[in-house]
Amino acid sequence: MSLVNAELFKVRTTSLWWIMGLVLLPLYAASVLVNWANSNVTTPPDDAGVTDTQSAQIEAALEPINVATNLYTSGQFFGILIVLLLSAIIVTSEFFHLTATTTFLTTPRRESVILAKFGAAVVIGLAVWLITTVLNLIVVPPIMNNLELGSQLGEPAVWRAIGLNALAFVLWGVLGVGAGVLIRSQIAATLILAITYVVGSAAVSLIFFLLSEYVAEWISNLQVLVPTSASQLMISGTDLPGSPPRWVGAVVLIGYAIVTGFLGTWLTKRRDIS
Amino acid sequence: MSAPGTDEIVVDHLTKQYKKLRAVDDLSFRVRSGRVTGFLGPNGAGKTTTLRMLLGLVAPTAGTATFGDQRYADLHDPVRRVGAVLEASSAHRGRTGRNHLRMICRAAGLPDTRSDEVLEMVGLTPAANRKFKGYSLGMKQRLGIAAAMLGDPRVLILDEPANGLDPEGIRWMRDLLKALAGQGRTVLVSSHLLGEMQLLADDVVIVAAGKLIRQGPVDQVLGDMSGGVVVRVRTPQTEALTTALSELSATVTPGPEGSLLVHGAEAAAVGHAAFTAGVELHELATERGDLEQVFLQLTAGKAGIR
Repeated sequence: MSLVNAELFKVRTTSLWWIMGLVLLPLYAASVLVNWANSNVTTPPDDAGVTDTQSAQIEAALEPINVATNLYTSGQFFGILIVLLLSAIIVTSEFFHLTATTTFLTTPRRESVILAKFGAAVVIGLAVWLITTVLNLIVVPPIMNNLELGSQLGEPAVWRAIGLNALAFVLWGVLGVGAGVLIRSQIAATLILAITYVVGSAAVSLIFFLLSEYVAEWISNLQVLVPTSASQLMISGTDLPGSPPRWVGAVVLIGYAIVTGFLGTWLTKRRDIS
Repeated sequence: MSAPGTDEIVVDHLTKQYKKLRAVDDLSFRVRSGRVTGFLGPNGAGKTTTLRMLLGLVAPTAGTATFGDQRYADLHDPVRRVGAVLEASSAHRGRTGRNHLRMICRAAGLPDTRSDEVLEMVGLTPAANRKFKGYSLGMKQRLGIAAAMLGDPRVLILDEPANGLDPEGIRWMRDLLKALAGQGRTVLVSSHLLGEMQLLADDVVIVAAGKLIRQGPVDQVLGDMSGGVVVRVRTPQTEALTTALSELSATVTPGPEGSLLVHGAEAAAVGHAAFTAGVELHELATERGDLEQVFLQLTAGKAGIR
């Protein structure tokens, strides 16, 4: 535990954490507004040229419970991005600022250091989740009333989505540490992760859309293998038509976290620190 | 050979092979406690690689480097056993000096107050709350030494600690390291600055091209190499003098700029021999071998970039 404490102390004693916080706030506000706007769309008419699955999905998404889970987990996309980058930087900054020598001299058992970094990433993930969730619980009920749907806070599905959202933050934090070990260059790691996360998920959605449209519809089920889609799926309120069940999303994310975690620890153990 | 004491550093047939470069080549030496040992060699001799292997940061290709019989990674409480200063610039630029030390305290389970004590010890208290990027190179070296002293370790390892220190700082460090060795601690200091080592070290380990060249007490290494006293003479009658000196069983070798170097005889004896033989002398001077010369002789041809 003292090692996790030391890792969190490292994060606290540089300016990175509040810079990331300042970046997150406007992005969070934008996410709430976008989710609000999306909840205002109406079901398309039958002759609008959408497939049955798509219109079923839109209808499902407009059910009060799904609107509620979507709004109460606002900020997930960018919150996770921040957690992902912070977690990666926990590792890469050790090499960027040459502090790895000090760290591994203090704690020669390197697996303990990496484990502590995973621990710190989990704490950071939970902290960002807590902040966005508290903000959501303040901001969203008035929006729900405005949509004339009621707060929906009595629904277990809403709380389950909030809980699964926490799991998503934690798993992405672990993923970030693993990625930081694999891509040791600070600049490369932050750029690659940010671009893959933001542009990548859009690009991947497009590719899967085209594949399922022109090759075979079942291919769209594979989209859950993409980490961003997996965490999206995991927090959806009810099982949406045409998507795999929610637990599949959780399994996929846990799988990625375990693989990067083990690979990262193994690599760190055998590398020369110079 | 006696069993190594727990604070003795034992390097045994240590080898590090990089892709094309054998940075450390079958190196063996011991560092005794209660003495300052200078680890000398030209740049690129493998000193830093050796120290990093000793500290478990770099994996050896072959051989071992241990404290007593334990590897660094196996030490129960490494921060309290061994303190190391490897690079002057190994702290986060945006973190204050005090927080850099507290970070180590937390990971090592030491109380935060230790950081203030060591800051005081190295004279950095006024700069404790300044960020690392505002430190001069000398201050960074002092912070490194402060970090190494956090656990009050019995063994200290310093890689080129004199780099960036002003003369006052160098004297301060020399006094500090001598005092620490005087308390019975083991002190290993790497350097390519030989003059400094001559003032500081009790023992020296000299390496070049990754190989051990010579080790032993400073006086002994100096003595061995210079054969004691060297007398430099200049004469127009080289042959006559050489003959006269051979009766003293002294040897004569050519020196710089046409001079002769006489080994194994005092200046007075050389002068007397020349006088009796009627040889004209233009110069007669005693030269003591200094570490610098010894070092250059020892590492001649091996100091280049590899």
